[in-house]
Amino acid sequence: MTTATFAPTSPAQKYVALAGAELRLVMRNRTMAVSTLLVPVALGVFWAFSFGGGPEVWPMVVALQAAVTLGMGLYLTATQTVVARRHTRVLTRMRTSGISDPGLLAATLTPAMAIALIQIVIFAVIDAVMGVAVPVNPLALVAMLLGGAALMVTAALATSVFTPSPERAQITTLPLVFVMLGGAIAMAVIPTEGWVQALLLVPGAAVGTLVRLAFGGEIGMGAVTGTIVATLALVVWAGVFARVAMQRFRWDPRNG
Amino acid sequence: MMVMTTDAPGPDGTVVAMTETTMQAAGNAATTRGSAVEVRGLRVAYGEFEAVRGIDLTVRTGEVFALLGTNGAGKTTTLEVIEGFGRRTGGDVSVLGLDPATHRNELSRRMGVQLQEGGFIDELTVGETLQLWQKLSDRTDRVERLLDRFELTRRRDVPASKLSGGEKRRLDLALAVWGSPELVILDEPTTGLDPESRTRTWDAIQELQEAGRTVLLTTHYLEEAEALADRVAIMHEGRVAVQGTLAEILATRPAGFSATLPAAAIPSGPTDLPQLVGEPSAQARGEAVHVTVRTAELQADLTTFLTWAAERGVPLTDLRAAPASLAEIYHSVREGALSAATTSEVTR
Repeated sequence: MTTATFAPTSPAQKYVALAGAELRLVMRNRTMAVSTLLVPVALGVFWAFSFGGGPEVWPMVVALQAAVTLGMGLYLTATQTVVARRHTRVLTRMRTSGISDPGLLAATLTPAMAIALIQIVIFAVIDAVMGVAVPVNPLALVAMLLGGAALMVTAALATSVFTPSPERAQITTLPLVFVMLGGAIAMAVIPTEGWVQALLLVPGAAVGTLVRLAFGGEIGMGAVTGTIVATLALVVWAGVFARVAMQRFRWDPRNG
Repeated sequence: MMVMTTDAPGPDGTVVAMTETTMQAAGNAATTRGSAVEVRGLRVAYGEFEAVRGIDLTVRTGEVFALLGTNGAGKTTTLEVIEGFGRRTGGDVSVLGLDPATHRNELSRRMGVQLQEGGFIDELTVGETLQLWQKLSDRTDRVERLLDRFELTRRRDVPASKLSGGEKRRLDLALAVWGSPELVILDEPTTGLDPESRTRTWDAIQELQEAGRTVLLTTHYLEEAEALADRVAIMHEGRVAVQGTLAEILATRPAGFSATLPAAAIPSGPTDLPQLVGEPSAQARGEAVHVTVRTAELQADLTTFLTWAAERGVPLTDLRAAPASLAEIYHSVREGALSAATTSEVTR
């Protein structure tokens, strides 16, 4: 009955196969493709003109762009995708295929990460055209992107625990999106000393700190220490969400 | 891992306690002797609710084993544990010699699973779904072979969301048998199918059996179990009520015969009938009475009854004699009429 014609694939090849299929689906979905490109273009241009061209406001604009990209492009999309795949039992089906659980989750989340990456590139191009200066501390920008992505992906998995349907994801993700937007913008513009630094404890607020450190002109040990502390804030929250997800993540809608 | 003990007969007939370790060894030995699935004392609880309450199951290599049961009996929960997706709260499970809770990835190379419903990426076509499976599965097979075998070639470019219910089940089955795994688990494979599609599915299951594969299926259809299964277990309220071959299970319930005769032939009721091994009962129907006899000695009692009627010139109408049916056993289980003693007699 068996006709052996194809060698078993490696874990990496399995990830690429499933992630590729998911990405092709996103590209086939014209509505999603257009909104992925048009929304950041429209918002980027709008914010750039609304907030003027002074160097003092650019950290806030970039922080806003980063928070929207991470919060909506990545966090909301990732939560919706995971919940939808669970809701339709695709996750259950794929677990019978031979792909590992981490590989399955990574492949499922790849389109959301790709969307966020595309939006970041679009924002970066618009900012460059509008005359935003090159960051003096690019490491802080990299830390913001990586730490923010880790935070949002783990938060999406944790939020999926409490989200019964893809439609509900638009509600269950709102609290963290708002908290992150507010925290990030506040941290991008408030003074660097004093009790307000405690806002760094708000999940995602460190995104604003890192943007300010990247564009704010601060260099030396103070900037390095600030970058490390803010990155740690993102990583700790990512760890908290990862722990929740590992303990309570559900693959099947029937059992929850 | 928890340590559990259970009683089992030793070589000299004495009862010995088995620990989990010895059970694992016994399970491995059983696998080499021919058990594809061994479940001992399986318990699954969700909070206070215990969905599966200490069941034992044995699925032998190369057989078709049907797991029947009422809704909420615990069939799907049991399957999920066997597949490695469900967490057990007690007991031991060995699938192809491995614990599915810790060896799910290894088992996916040797075990195919058909879900009860859904699970397709709606936007992917039939061909794309199979091609994706080809890349994800550690079992090897050809897309064209599966398309052809399950009559999906003409639907190759149709998205999964546009398939009919029967076509989805065929695609589902194609994924489960991809690479002809040693063990195929089918969760209600024919539910919702039209008779023709059901027959095709039965053919596919029989092909698997002829190829020496082991099939574990759940079904609500008794005729499906009777047509396909070498052995059957009936679950009810988290327990296995009966388990064995069809003959073994049917033997637990007496066969019977019935006939309608004039009420005047037995004016005092069943006591006017001749001495029988079985237990007669009578139901008045106007001028007639319908007699039913449940007996372990069908031939002897039927002969005695027919002789009695012939000697007295009693006309018999609507005479029927039949062994117990799986349907009767099933309904007995549902009504809780099957005793624990009966269960232990049948369970091997």
